Amino acid sequence: MIMDRKRVTIVFILMLVCLAMLVWINAVTGSVSIPPGEVISAVLGRSSDEMWTNIIMNIRLPRMIAAIVLGGCLALSGYLLQTFFDNPIVGPFVLGISSGAKLTVALTLIFLLSKGRNIGSFGMIVSAFAGAMMAMVFVLLISSKTRSMSLLVICGIMIGYICSAITDFVVTFADDSNIVNLHNWSMGSLSGINMTQVTIMSVLALVCLACAVCMSKPISAYRLGQAYAASMGVNIRLLKVMLIVISSLLAASVTAFAGPISFVGIAVPHLVGNTVRTSSPAVMIPSCFLGGAVVTLMCDCIARSIFAPTEVSISSVTAVLLVPVVIRMMLGRRKNAG
Amino acid sequence: MRADMQQDRILHTDGLAIGYDSDLITGIGLDVMPGRIVTLIGPNGSGKSTLLKTLTGQLEARGGMNALDKAQNMSMLMTSSVRPRMMTCREVVAMGRYPYTGRFGKLKESDEKTVDHALDLTGSREVADRFFDRISDGQRQRVMLARAICQQPRVLILDEPTSYLDIRYRLDILNTIRTIADRDNVAVVMSLHELEPAMRISDFVVAVGEGRILRSGTPQEVFEESFIRRLYGIEDRDISLLGPGPWMEKTADIHAGIEENGTDTHRTGARAIMIQGTMSGAGKSMIAAGLCRIFTQDGYSVAPFKSQNMALNSYVTSEGLEMGRAQVMQAGCCKREPLVCMNPVLLKPTDDQGSQVIVNGIPVGNMRAAEYFRYKQQLIPEIMSAYEKLSGMADIIVIEGAGSPAELNLKKNDIVNMGLARMTDAPVLLVGDIDRGGVFAQLIGTLELLEPDERARVKGLIVNKFRGDIGLFEDGVRILEEKGHKPVTGVVPYLDIRLEDEDSLSDRFSVRGKKAFDICVIRFPRISNFTDMDVFGQAPDISVRYVDDPDGVGDPDVIILPGTKNTGGDLEWMRQHGLDDAVISYARAGGGGVVIGICGGYQMLGMRISDPEGVESGVTSPGLGLLPVETVMAREKTRTLYTGHIPSWKGVLEDMSGMQVTGYEIHNGITTPAGSDPDYTDAEACVYAPDGTGCCSGNVYGTYIHGIFDEEGVAPRLVSLIAAHKGKDIDVSMMRGHFDESEAMYDKLAAHLRECLDMDSIYEMMGIVRP
Repeated sequence: MIMDRKRVTIVFILMLVCLAMLVWINAVTGSVSIPPGEVISAVLGRSSDEMWTNIIMNIRLPRMIAAIVLGGCLALSGYLLQTFFDNPIVGPFVLGISSGAKLTVALTLIFLLSKGRNIGSFGMIVSAFAGAMMAMVFVLLISSKTRSMSLLVICGIMIGYICSAITDFVVTFADDSNIVNLHNWSMGSLSGINMTQVTIMSVLALVCLACAVCMSKPISAYRLGQAYAASMGVNIRLLKVMLIVISSLLAASVTAFAGPISFVGIAVPHLVGNTVRTSSPAVMIPSCFLGGAVVTLMCDCIARSIFAPTEVSISSVTAVLLVPVVIRMMLGRRKNAG
Repeated sequence: MRADMQQDRILHTDGLAIGYDSDLITGIGLDVMPGRIVTLIGPNGSGKSTLLKTLTGQLEARGGMNALDKAQNMSMLMTSSVRPRMMTCREVVAMGRYPYTGRFGKLKESDEKTVDHALDLTGSREVADRFFDRISDGQRQRVMLARAICQQPRVLILDEPTSYLDIRYRLDILNTIRTIADRDNVAVVMSLHELEPAMRISDFVVAVGEGRILRSGTPQEVFEESFIRRLYGIEDRDISLLGPGPWMEKTADIHAGIEENGTDTHRTGARAIMIQGTMSGAGKSMIAAGLCRIFTQDGYSVAPFKSQNMALNSYVTSEGLEMGRAQVMQAGCCKREPLVCMNPVLLKPTDDQGSQVIVNGIPVGNMRAAEYFRYKQQLIPEIMSAYEKLSGMADIIVIEGAGSPAELNLKKNDIVNMGLARMTDAPVLLVGDIDRGGVFAQLIGTLELLEPDERARVKGLIVNKFRGDIGLFEDGVRILEEKGHKPVTGVVPYLDIRLEDEDSLSDRFSVRGKKAFDICVIRFPRISNFTDMDVFGQAPDISVRYVDDPDGVGDPDVIILPGTKNTGGDLEWMRQHGLDDAVISYARAGGGGVVIGICGGYQMLGMRISDPEGVESGVTSPGLGLLPVETVMAREKTRTLYTGHIPSWKGVLEDMSGMQVTGYEIHNGITTPAGSDPDYTDAEACVYAPDGTGCCSGNVYGTYIHGIFDEEGVAPRLVSLIAAHKGKDIDVSMMRGHFDESEAMYDKLAAHLRECLDMDSIYEMMGIVRP
C-alpha cells in the first residue's frame, strides 16, 4: 500500500475515540438522564432499576447501534456510487435511490396495513431494495446518455422529487391511523428501532462491508477508468454489477429502517478522503463506514436532544450540518479544475 | 529468417474491420513481432485510435480476426485523461502490478522494485509521492507510461505517447520506448502525430487513411514525400512553416545516377552510409574501402569520410595538408584524389597522454586528452563543413567510425561515431570481428549499450573476418538477428589482404621469426608512417621485424629507423633501452651493416638535434652520430609531395643512385650538414642530397622521403644489392611497386565483399533504388 500510514492510523484512532464519546453521551443523555454508573450496570444486566435497564437496552442501545450501522451503510453506499460514476457529488439520496426505496416502502406499508397485516423487517428491506434498484435503473439509463456530472445529479434529484411526490400522494389517501407513523418514517428517524431489526441490519451491513472490502483491489484499479482497469484484467461487468447491487442494498436497508437520511452519503466519503489523504479503497472502505457511523450517531444525538423532548428529523440535522460541506467541496473542485 | 519469425508474432490481425457504428477501416492485416516498434501514422480521424482501442479489446472488432492474449500480456497508454483524486503517482504506477498481485493487491518487494524501475525509466521519480491530479499534463503522461511499463507486458499499445510533452520529455519517452522494445523484447504498437520521430523510431510503419491501410512497410518504404503529402492531403499547400521533414521536396539536386525516389530528403546532396565497429581493428576501414570501390564500380561518384583519425601515420595531400592514411587508401578505392576534407581532424599521439591536433590538415597544437575532450565540441562546424564540401562533390559518402560507438565514458559530445551519424543522418552498419572471438557479445553488447535513437540508426550487422565454412554460421546469423533485432547484412570471410594500416595497433608488430633476408625496424613508441616498410612484406623470403630491445636486433641484413612523432623523445627512449649502442655497433661493425633512417630516424642518425623553439622537448640532444648532419627543430612543418631521384648514394646501395622516387615529406625540423664536426672523422665519404632531403655516409642512409621504397623497382633493387653483398640469393620477383598493387587489391576486396554482403539492402538503407 502506498499512503501515509501514520496519518491513516491517527485518523482511525480519532474516529474510534469520537465514536466512543458519542456512544457515552448518547447512553447517558435523553429525556431521562441516567447516571453513568447505572448505564454500565444496565448493560451488564446487574442494574436494580428495571426502567433504566429497559431504557438502555431496548431504546438507547438499539438506536445507537442502528445509527452506527446505518450511518456506515450510507457512507459506504455513497463511496461506492461515487466510485461507480467517477463523480464525487453523488450519493444515494442525491441520486434519488433513497427516495425510490422510500416510495416502494410506503406503498408496501399502506397496502399491507390496509389488509390489516403488519410488515416485517425483511419485507421492508425487500421492498426498499426493489425501489432502490428501480431508481438506480433510471439513473443508469441517464448516465449512459450523458457524461456530465451535474446533469446526472440534477436528474437524480428529479427522480427523488417524483418519488417523493408519489409517496405524498399515497400518504394523503392513506388511513389516518397510519399517517403519523408513516410521516415520521418518511422524514427519516431512528426512533422506535428494536433489537431484532438491529440484528437484521447488522448482518446485512456486515455482509455488504465484507463484499466491498473484497472488491477493494478491482475498485482500486477502477479509479484509473474503465479502459485501463479492463486492460489490467479487471472484470468490468462483474465489478459494475457488484457496485450497483451493493450500494443499492446498503441504501435500501437504511431507508427501510430509518427512512431517507440525506447527505451522509455524499459528504462523509469526501470528509474522510480529505482527512486520510488517499483514495485507496482498502483505506477508504473501512474509514467511510466508520466516519459515517460517527457522523450519523452525532446527528442523531443532536436530533433527539436539541429540542428535547421534541425530536427533530435526523435528515434536518444532517442537511444543516453537511450541506455546507458539500457546497464547499463543489466550489473547491471548481477551483481545482480552473 | 522471416518465416521463422512468423511463429514468434505476438499480435496478429487478419482482415480486421474496425469502427464504432460503421466500418472505419477494413482489411487490416498486422503482424507484430516481439521487440519491434510498429507505428501508425495518418491524418486526424483516420482511425488510428480506434484501431488501437480494438487491439486492446476496448472496442469489438466489426469483422476479421484479432488475436492477442490479454491481461498480463498487454498494457496500454491512451489519450483519455483520467484524473483520479487523492492518488499518488506512485500508486498509479503500482496499479500496473495489478495482474501480478494477490487478492487484495498487496505489493511484494519485487513489485516495489519494478515500480521504482518504471518510475526511474520515465523520469517520474521526483513526482512519485505527489498526487496524480496535481501534476502537469506532461508529467501525467510519463507516469501513465511508467504504469504501462510496470505491467511488464509483451505488447505495449500507446496512443500518442508524446502528446502534451515538450521536446525533452518527448525525446525521453521515445528513448524509453525504444529501450523497452530492444531490451525487454516488448512489441510496441503506437500512433504518432510527429512524423520525424516516427520515421526514426519505427521498425515498421502503417499509414492509415481513406478507410484502409494505404501503405505499410519499413520507414524507408512508407516515408516517401509524395505519399506523405497525399496521406495528409497537403499536396499543393505551402508547407514552408513546417520546416524540413518527410513532407518536404528535395532541397538539392541528386547527382545523376541516383533514382529520384529516395526517402530521406532533408539530407543535402549525397547519400551516406556509415561503418562503425565494435572495437578498433574490427575491419571498419577495410569494409569502408570495399564499399567505396563497389559503389565506384557501380557508377557512382563516391568519397570516403572519417571525422577524426587517431593515427601516427599520416599523409600529405597535394595541397600540402596532413590527413589520415586510411582515407587516402579509401580515396584510392573511389579513384579520387585524397582531400583533407575526407578527414578533417587528425590526432597524432605524441606521448602517452597527449596528441598533436591537426584540423583541416594544419596542426593547431598539442593537447592533453582531457583538454581535447573539451575542445572537440568546437570542431563540429569544421567537421560539418568538411562533410558538406564532400557531399557537394559525391553521390555517396562512405563514413567510417572510430573505435567503438559504445565507449560510454567518452560518448559525451561524440563527433566520431553516433554523434557523427546523427549529424550526417547516416544509416549505420555495425562491424564485429569474429576472428578475435566473442562476436555475439561484441555486436549484441554494443547494440545494448547504445541509446535507443542510436540503436535505431543501426540498420545492419556485419560479421567480419570469418574463417571456415560459412554454412556452419547460419545459426549464428539467426541468433544475431533474433537477439539484436537487426538484419545481418553479411558474414565476411577472412580476406588476407594488405591495405594501408590506419594506426600502430596492427598485427605487423608481432612478427618475430627471421627469414632469409631480415629487416629490423626499430619500434619507436611513437613510430609513424610505418607503411614505408610495407613493400618488403610482399616477398616470401623477407622478414620485417619490429624490435624494441637490443637483444632483438640480432644480425639483420638491414636496420631501418622509421619515422617518429617525437624525435627527441624516441631518441631518449633508444638510449634508455640501449638500442642506440646496438644500432651504432651494427653500423660500425666490420661488414658495415646497412642502416636506413627515414624522417625522424634520419634526424636521429645525425650529430645533434636542437630545439630552440621548444617544438618537442626544448633541449638539444646529441644524435647517434652516424651521419654528419644536424637538425634544428622548427615550428613550421614541411609538408610536400616529393618527386625526384635518389642522390648519388655510396656504399652497398651505390647502384640505386638516380632511381626515380615519389613520396612525401612531413617533418618539423631542417637538417643541414654539420660542417667540420670534430666528432665526425669520415666527412669525405658523406654525400648530402642537394635538395636537402637526405644524406648518406658509408652504408648509413638517411632520407626525409616517406614512401621512398614504394616506387616500382626501388625495393627489389635495394634487397638485391644487400643480398648480393651478403652473398644471399633472394627472390624479389613478387615485389611490386606499392601503388600499382593497390588497384588490383581494391578490386579483389570489392569482389570479395560483393559476394558476402547484401548490397541491395545496403543501397536500400541509403535510400537508393537500383535499376
